[in-house]
Amino acid sequence: MGRPKRLLFVSLLLLILMLAACSSDGEVDKGSAQEGNRVLTIAMGSDIVSFDIHNHNNTSTEAVHDNMFNYLFKRDDNNGIQPELVDSFEQIDDLTVQMKLKEGVKFHNGDPLTSEDVKFTLERVATDETLKEFPNYKQIKEVEIVDDLTFKVITYEPEPSLFHRLSRLGSGMLPKKYIEEQGWDHFLSNPVGTGPYKFKEWIRDDRIVLEPFDDYYEGKVDEWDEVVFRVIPENSTRVSELLTGGVDIAVNIPPSDWDRIDKNDGTSMKKETSNRTIMLILRATEGYPTADVRVRQAIDYAIDDGSIAEHALKGGGIPTKTRVGPGNFGHNPKLYDTYNYDLEKAKALLAEAGYPDGFEMTLHSPKGRYLQDAEVTEMIAGMLSQVGIKVNIEFMEWSNFVEMRTAKKNKDAYLLGLGNSMFDGAYSVDWYRAERFEGETDYKNDEIEELLQASASNMNPEEREKQIQQIEEIAAEEVPHIQLYQETINTGVSDRIDFTPTQDEMIYVPKIKRK
Amino acid sequence: MLRFLLKRILEFIPVLLIISFIVFSLVFIAGNPVALMLPEDASQEDIDRLTTALGLDQPFIVQYGKYMVGLLQGNFGESFRYNTDALPLVLERLPATLELAAASMIIAILIAIPLGVWSATRKNTSMDLIATGGAVIGKAMPNFWLGIMLILLFSVTLGWFPVSGRGTLAHLILPAITLGTGIAAEMTRLIRSSMVEILSQDYVRTAKSKGLRDFFVIYKHAFRNSLIPVVTITALQTSTLVGGALITETVFSWPGLGQLLIQAVNTRDMAIVQASVFVIATLVILMNLLADLIYRILDPRIKYS
Repeated sequence: MGRPKRLLFVSLLLLILMLAACSSDGEVDKGSAQEGNRVLTIAMGSDIVSFDIHNHNNTSTEAVHDNMFNYLFKRDDNNGIQPELVDSFEQIDDLTVQMKLKEGVKFHNGDPLTSEDVKFTLERVATDETLKEFPNYKQIKEVEIVDDLTFKVITYEPEPSLFHRLSRLGSGMLPKKYIEEQGWDHFLSNPVGTGPYKFKEWIRDDRIVLEPFDDYYEGKVDEWDEVVFRVIPENSTRVSELLTGGVDIAVNIPPSDWDRIDKNDGTSMKKETSNRTIMLILRATEGYPTADVRVRQAIDYAIDDGSIAEHALKGGGIPTKTRVGPGNFGHNPKLYDTYNYDLEKAKALLAEAGYPDGFEMTLHSPKGRYLQDAEVTEMIAGMLSQVGIKVNIEFMEWSNFVEMRTAKKNKDAYLLGLGNSMFDGAYSVDWYRAERFEGETDYKNDEIEELLQASASNMNPEEREKQIQQIEEIAAEEVPHIQLYQETINTGVSDRIDFTPTQDEMIYVPKIKRK
Repeated sequence: MLRFLLKRILEFIPVLLIISFIVFSLVFIAGNPVALMLPEDASQEDIDRLTTALGLDQPFIVQYGKYMVGLLQGNFGESFRYNTDALPLVLERLPATLELAAASMIIAILIAIPLGVWSATRKNTSMDLIATGGAVIGKAMPNFWLGIMLILLFSVTLGWFPVSGRGTLAHLILPAITLGTGIAAEMTRLIRSSMVEILSQDYVRTAKSKGLRDFFVIYKHAFRNSLIPVVTITALQTSTLVGGALITETVFSWPGLGQLLIQAVNTRDMAIVQASVFVIATLVILMNLLADLIYRILDPRIKYS
């Protein structure tokens, strides 16, 4: 009896020791609001993917990287493109731009930024097909070094969007020497950029910690001693952290929590229009009722975008007839903050198209991907039933939804939200290009095809802008996609800081001040 | 004993191979993850290019062959999402998950043993009803809801514990209670019923008739024998905790295996799913082995040949 008992006792003791050992290796939490005012804590919904700036398409990842890497150009508050690391530049011909870097820019490891680094960075993303950002930079043919600070960017074809490309994460400068000497794996766990904040620590699915870079070329940004990005996937937990002062900024707050945050002492909601538009993509394939332009128009007239924005989104949306929102190149103000709604007209159009009693259609919708997406889809189905269209909603989990789209198994319509990280309308209107969606939406308009062709290599910005706007107008009339509303970004913010969200959903720490 | 252990460990190998085959096939059937990795406006050309680059256009047998070759070298392949080896990513999470599992188990045991024994000795009284009724409620409460309620009460209203994250002991308490209560409920019922059975057996009656005190009879004689089913359930539950704590981990943003796995499933990050399931399966097997060993300690009559 004695021996087994001792064994049991020992194994219990071991269990407890194991537990103690486990607990002690965790990082001790430094709550933000309570402990001094010099730590900024931001709650994100998902972790960053990696520190490889060229190999992800993830907004929250870029929001962190944005503080560690500088781009060659940067969009200003009015979405104008301004040089960032570039001091001066000159368009030599349609294919070549010569640029000179600012002097005295240093990487976090002390190395100076030179043309070599620019060549290394841009040619990597422009040539490595396996990188997720490759499609956005493959237009660049090469970077030719002139001297230490001067270089030429040469494209294959005239590339009107070049500066849009160079004001994105893909042009965040990588340290050539450091990566070549230490290897990629070392870089990915000890990333080095030229930005105002440098890497301190990353505990996956828990937190990323940054600290100020003393030798930042514009002078050390020392508003915050430390910046912590915390990963909190669950909405209600993120809200609770904000309410208790655990974090200073909480992103993606659902409408049901807006009041709680506004009424709570010390926190408030900050909203900004995002660059994402929610739309219905219709089938124009022969044999579908929606192949008839009058049916598509009828659907557009039957949906009350204003009511959706007001009720389902609690005001968190702006009705629109174009996907190219303000701040994007080619925005057409005539088509923004407006919508079609006329039930009688919708019924007349349906009758004219040969569906006086309506018809039945399927609407695919993701659930939980966009703000209130399920509620919006249900409202649309209700609105369409008023003109006799019976909508069968098929809610889908996101990965199944994506698969349905890639397999081109979409039925009459699906709900989709699209942003534009390039802030160039050309990328939005490209969705009307027939070849790209053959067997999927099958919309084709010859006039749009011609305009797309012409605008793709037009180096005259005024002309190109008009071409893009014209495509938007034709699409607003023919409605192959019914544009519904532009989403808002809904961020909960502690009153102790001064922060306004931006359209691109970045969280640029140097602009966040203590009050 | 040593031979028994060795034999059991050798038995693991085919089991793990079968598991790896099933998981690989399921993930293969689940489809191409490339479209999920690219943004919504990616063109078909981009999707095809990346599919080829990742070797996902090759037939099942080729992909499985590559996977097995890697596996035999201890390599589970590369995570598509993180572009880094899957196994280290999974193992990195293991301490957080084990910590939470162990804490939940301790809470469950601390609640279940006294409650179970106590209600067995008061069989069919109103106190017993309250205890067993409470266990049913504890079992029925969804972790998700319980977790959020605990946060609202103890973190937001009272401010006693941090809302989420991992680090100090204070961070551990709410998620461990959330997970522990469900298990405690099940254990309580089990201990109660096995205690009730044992208390009615001859040797207990003999002990009582010899004039031993109730406390001594219950804890020295009956309790020990009622522990055998408890060991089984503890072993099984611990392995469930390791693999199944995903909802609780998400609510408390606890950076454990569950959270990693749920994200990997959502993004169809095959290598991570495979490596996680493999690690969880190994743990389940080890826990079962541990349970067998503890049986032997509790009841020397149990022999393994």
